[in-house]
Amino acid sequence: MASRETADYKNTSQENTPFSNKSLVVEQCPSLQQLNYQGVAPIYLKMTRLFNLFCTAVTLSLLIISQRQPFFPLTSQNFNIISNIILIIGLLGLLNYWYGIVANKKKFFAIREQDITYCSGLIFQKTVTQPISRVQHVELKRGPIERKAGLACLQLFSAGGASHTFEIPGLLLENAESIRQFIVDHKTISSN
Amino acid sequence: MDTAETKVLNVYDKNALAHWQRMSPIAIIYFIANFIKVLLSNIVILLPALYLSYDFIMENLILGLTVIILLISFAVISTFLRFYFFQYRLKNDHIDIRSGVISKTHINLPFTRIQNVKLEQPIYYRWFNYTCLQLDTAGSAKQEAKIVALKADFAEQLKTEILAQHLSKKEPGTCNKPADQPLDPQKSVAEEVLNTRSIPDLIIHGLTNNRIWIFLGGLAPFFDDFSHYILQFFQKTGVDIEHLLTITDKPIWQIILYASTLTFLFLLIISLCSIAASILTFYRYTLSKLEDRYIRRSGLFTKHEVTMRLSRLQLVIRQQDWLDVLLKRINLTFEQINVSVNHNQMNAQNNKIIVPSIKPNECTKLLNDIYPENQMMTISYQAISKQFLLKNWGLILTPLCATLTILFIVGNKPLLLTAVLPLYVFLSALVVMRWYRWGYASDENYTYIRKGFFGVDYYCFPTYKTQQVHYKQSWFLKRHQLCSINFVLAAGTQSIPYINENKGLSLTDDTIFKVESTKKSWM
Repeated sequence: MASRETADYKNTSQENTPFSNKSLVVEQCPSLQQLNYQGVAPIYLKMTRLFNLFCTAVTLSLLIISQRQPFFPLTSQNFNIISNIILIIGLLGLLNYWYGIVANKKKFFAIREQDITYCSGLIFQKTVTQPISRVQHVELKRGPIERKAGLACLQLFSAGGASHTFEIPGLLLENAESIRQFIVDHKTISSN
Repeated sequence: MDTAETKVLNVYDKNALAHWQRMSPIAIIYFIANFIKVLLSNIVILLPALYLSYDFIMENLILGLTVIILLISFAVISTFLRFYFFQYRLKNDHIDIRSGVISKTHINLPFTRIQNVKLEQPIYYRWFNYTCLQLDTAGSAKQEAKIVALKADFAEQLKTEILAQHLSKKEPGTCNKPADQPLDPQKSVAEEVLNTRSIPDLIIHGLTNNRIWIFLGGLAPFFDDFSHYILQFFQKTGVDIEHLLTITDKPIWQIILYASTLTFLFLLIISLCSIAASILTFYRYTLSKLEDRYIRRSGLFTKHEVTMRLSRLQLVIRQQDWLDVLLKRINLTFEQINVSVNHNQMNAQNNKIIVPSIKPNECTKLLNDIYPENQMMTISYQAISKQFLLKNWGLILTPLCATLTILFIVGNKPLLLTAVLPLYVFLSALVVMRWYRWGYASDENYTYIRKGFFGVDYYCFPTYKTQQVHYKQSWFLKRHQLCSINFVLAAGTQSIPYINENKGLSLTDDTIFKVESTKKSWM
């Protein structure tokens, strides 16, 4: 499956096509509706699930330990308050875990010759399209979890500011690197 | 008159400047003024410290004095060191700057990469005829270089030379002048003055646009004291404001009268400050055009000069507040890339050119000069969906006001209850106007967006300059076949909410197609 994914964008060569500027009918133009989306790596789903569980478990156990430790006994009021906090955090953790599972399944990306699109979101679905000619530089971000699982997060920087950095999480490392190579090789990348 | 000194000053002598040199000692004045400015802007932290340590200082006078003297001498020494360790040179059409006392920085800027040249002349430089030159590049490796003391005419020559580099190195296809004519820095093509602003214009601008934030930034820590002083002042004159404003035993008309007088006084003071700030920023405003560059010069104490090449222009905003609409004035803003390296307080000077409070015919003339084929005012705008009204008015505003009304009835607060209804009507009018104003249109070259409440703002940008496109749909929007679109430009993001999803899709497809097929640089 990895080779099928990489074949799509590794070998697009843009040889010396003569410049043409025929006017096109709108129906002939490429449309976002016809994109071939592919999902994030399955191991990414598993890692985020585990990570969410881990975070919740750590927070809860810290709270429980601080509640029941023998060094500084708490008043019964504080004890109850912390019990409530534990309950709330437990519920939030559960919600976060469920949301992580469902939302991560809704993350897709698609690559065309001239742009990359990323679609995410469960209730508020957002599709971001980044034309490659407006990309200023490319980065691969890998945290410790990503490094362990062989994943990477692709970041494309444009002139739209740091808050609009185009990001695709949960890519297999080889895929991320070949996408990066494809962008770098792209002829019309902005050199400013 | 042919001494070596005058040679450097009157003629751009490249050999002399190829060596490292320090700025004129006049720069020390600039550093001192800067230090004082930083001190004043950080007064929030300093004043409490002073209050707390006041008693301590009074008791141990000698210790306190030595500390203060040490601090002042530290400031003076660091200012001098900053001046001493700043060196620059101009070599091979590059400018090198070495600076920094403890951590040294070396900046190398080739002239061809310099996007903006800004000249800034603070008031204390005027008698010596010096000025401050700021160069910056754009792009992902944004660099800034500021030389704080150069002779004014030398700075002008340098600026012309730097900007001339761009003209001779334009990309093919966009150049419609013979590229083999290097610009002689001595002979400059005459600048054409496009617009000037007079004092009445600036007064109008001050009234309509609250530039009060310039002052508010510096005054914020004093608000507490101010309110205290105001209360005391009124108390001295026999009027007890707090007593007046307690509601229980005064007739309503009296309370309203006092409240409106106070508000009016307050607004008057704010307006006066705003007018002062407007005059401060835009005194002797001129907007001129030289080749493909637009130059704006203004300023009462500190004179600013901002140059912008037409190709750098990302977005044009034609803005009118409700008061602007009444007075038939327009504020035009030309926006460039909006990534700022230093977040200074007076951000108005940064990268955009604002033409304040112009008349409609002046505005049309400027717009046609900048974007000749634009149809900002003539194209017909398509409206956003009425679901916007449903969501904001029906789902948010009305239930909120209903709950407030119930709360006030139950809590028995008749005065607040009477306030809810007019507030509700006013906010509903705002929502309706917001929906009514929001419109979008696009033609071959440009995308237009119209927004506003009672005033109206028009945004116009060349479609191919878009950096990124967002297409957003929530469950609610999907059910009604609607979507929201964002255009991310280098100058900021423009959004169109609640439009038909097919129209939104075709708009994004069309924008992406134009970005990718034109292959024109966005700057």
